[in-house]
Amino acid sequence: MDRRLLLQLLATGGALTTAPASVWAAGQTSRGITRHPTPGDQGSLPLSSRESLLAELEELQAATQARRRRYCHLTQPNWPDGARIAVNFTFDVDHVLSRTANDEPPMQVAKGEFGGRVGAWRTLELLERQGIVGTFFTPGRTADLYPTILREIAERGHEFADHMWEHYVPADPVVQRDHMLRTRDVLTELAGRPPVGTRSSYPDALVLEMGYIYNSHGFASPLPFKVRRDGKELLNLSVHLAIDDAMYFNYGWIGSGASAQRLSDQELVLDIWWQAFQQQYEAGGYLNIALHPFIIGHAARIDMLDELITRMKSLPGVWFANSEDVARHCLALPSEAFACNEE
Amino acid sequence: MPWKSGYTISDEIALADEEIVWPSEKRCAVNVTVALSTAIMPEGLLARDLSGDDAELAFGAGLDALLDVFERLGIRATFAVPAVIAAVEADRVRQLAEAGHEIAALGFRHEDPTELPLDVERVRLRATAYAIRETTGQSPAGWYGLPRQGDRYAAGSVSPNTVDLLIDEGFEYLGNGMADDAPHYWVTDPEPPKALVTMPYSYHFDDQFFLQFPPLALRGGSGIEHPEVLVSNWRSAFAAQYERGRMFSMTLHPHLIGTLHRIRMLEEFLASVTEKDDVWIATAKQCADHWRAQYPPETHLRLAPSIWTE
Repeated sequence: MDRRLLLQLLATGGALTTAPASVWAAGQTSRGITRHPTPGDQGSLPLSSRESLLAELEELQAATQARRRRYCHLTQPNWPDGARIAVNFTFDVDHVLSRTANDEPPMQVAKGEFGGRVGAWRTLELLERQGIVGTFFTPGRTADLYPTILREIAERGHEFADHMWEHYVPADPVVQRDHMLRTRDVLTELAGRPPVGTRSSYPDALVLEMGYIYNSHGFASPLPFKVRRDGKELLNLSVHLAIDDAMYFNYGWIGSGASAQRLSDQELVLDIWWQAFQQQYEAGGYLNIALHPFIIGHAARIDMLDELITRMKSLPGVWFANSEDVARHCLALPSEAFACNEE
Repeated sequence: MPWKSGYTISDEIALADEEIVWPSEKRCAVNVTVALSTAIMPEGLLARDLSGDDAELAFGAGLDALLDVFERLGIRATFAVPAVIAAVEADRVRQLAEAGHEIAALGFRHEDPTELPLDVERVRLRATAYAIRETTGQSPAGWYGLPRQGDRYAAGSVSPNTVDLLIDEGFEYLGNGMADDAPHYWVTDPEPPKALVTMPYSYHFDDQFFLQFPPLALRGGSGIEHPEVLVSNWRSAFAAQYERGRMFSMTLHPHLIGTLHRIRMLEEFLASVTEKDDVWIATAKQCADHWRAQYPPETHLRLAPSIWTE
């Protein structure tokens, strides 16, 4: 938005003299700020309207500026050993807890239960075979329900990270802290060391207070980025829902009905993930694929993931890392590696 | 505190691939389930569902075509039949039983029982067993809670009481559950174990979610035809399950799969299954019987003690 052009537009009541006609004629108006000139629309707007429109503009400008100040984008990842791409498989071990947190009925809970009873075991077996260390974002309560597989995950040297207590972030800050502490305790006991990250929407300050060095939640750019709020800074390991297994093999956004289902087949998803990988490989970037044992753990999908990893390995310069390794690498980079807006 | 109550329905870890054996040293079990219902909404079969073209196709040409395929390939399927269908299409249902297919129950009218009071559900369950026995001369061994296209969840539905009632009323298995891709136990009480064999279900292998889904009656969505995605899912899942020696089960609706390109695609797929010598194509009852004999809950259900610490 060019403020100068806008002011001119307001002053002339819609007749622009210097702007290319196409800017306005194509309907590229900013929301709520301008209107299309109409034949009867002569003369300048009354002063009160102009002020109100300016206020709308300024509100949006302020939001934009605040956002720009909030983000720092990694521009020079310099992955270890000259790698071209960091590939980070992350697993949300939320089988049944995301079902119960949404108050879903027994058949749905059973669907999630596949993850703990079957899917997570197959996932581990695949990672072992491919020699890949994953990150398991785990609701603390899972340890009550599936202790054996969690011990197995720990024993094989995978990373545990926070994924809330029962897969929701409570509104009350006191309960938030309690949930975070409980999950941290459970995961610490399992792994023999505290977790260092989370996948959640807890307040950044609380995440940092827990000693966590990253969140992996949201996608402001393909490479990891930092978010600055209230004088604190938190690294975020970008993860995109468009390549999340739930987007293909589960159905609907949370809260939607079965008619909003998404059901795809393995070959198609393999192709999509492969293209996402190639795009980031060529760009010298980062790929974080979020998977769920209750979804990816079905045999045909495990076979497909196996094929994907094998393809990735056929190219040079692919760094398979867990989230902690990626985060520690990023945080050890010199500040010039990140582009920040100071405004 | 009851055992993981409300959080899980079965034991913590499924049987591993190498623990699973099938009769006659077959490598993999396959079950074909046919839902003999045109219900769309959670209420189950409504008068309008039995009044139009879909019902005519489901109990007419669609079913004929499906039965022809089964006969050509020597497949014995499990037909999940609502009580009302056993009553109003009695000749058809008897014909299925006489052809060697299994007749299981699909609710009284293929309704979602989630909100039914216990007493009401018990009466409906008994009436269902009675209606099927009246038509076929045999009580149904299995009970299905298959989803309808208009359901909120595609996983199927049971009420919190259904499985207990099924055990009390002498049913031998629950036809669809998603906690495993092999038969498993749905546990209602850990000590001593009160549990019902449950057959694996996945809506990814259910024709109704791929063929002009969502249907016109739901007034929304694209209604796009995706038979190739359905068949691709069948193929890749069967290949993977065969490799692991587990089980593959698919769900069909005669008015959907039983015609045009769809029935050809089905036959081609099923032929690729039946041509393998080491695949056990069985009814759900056969699978459930085998499972109970091979892995009795008393010795094979591995229930962890209650773990609640609060």
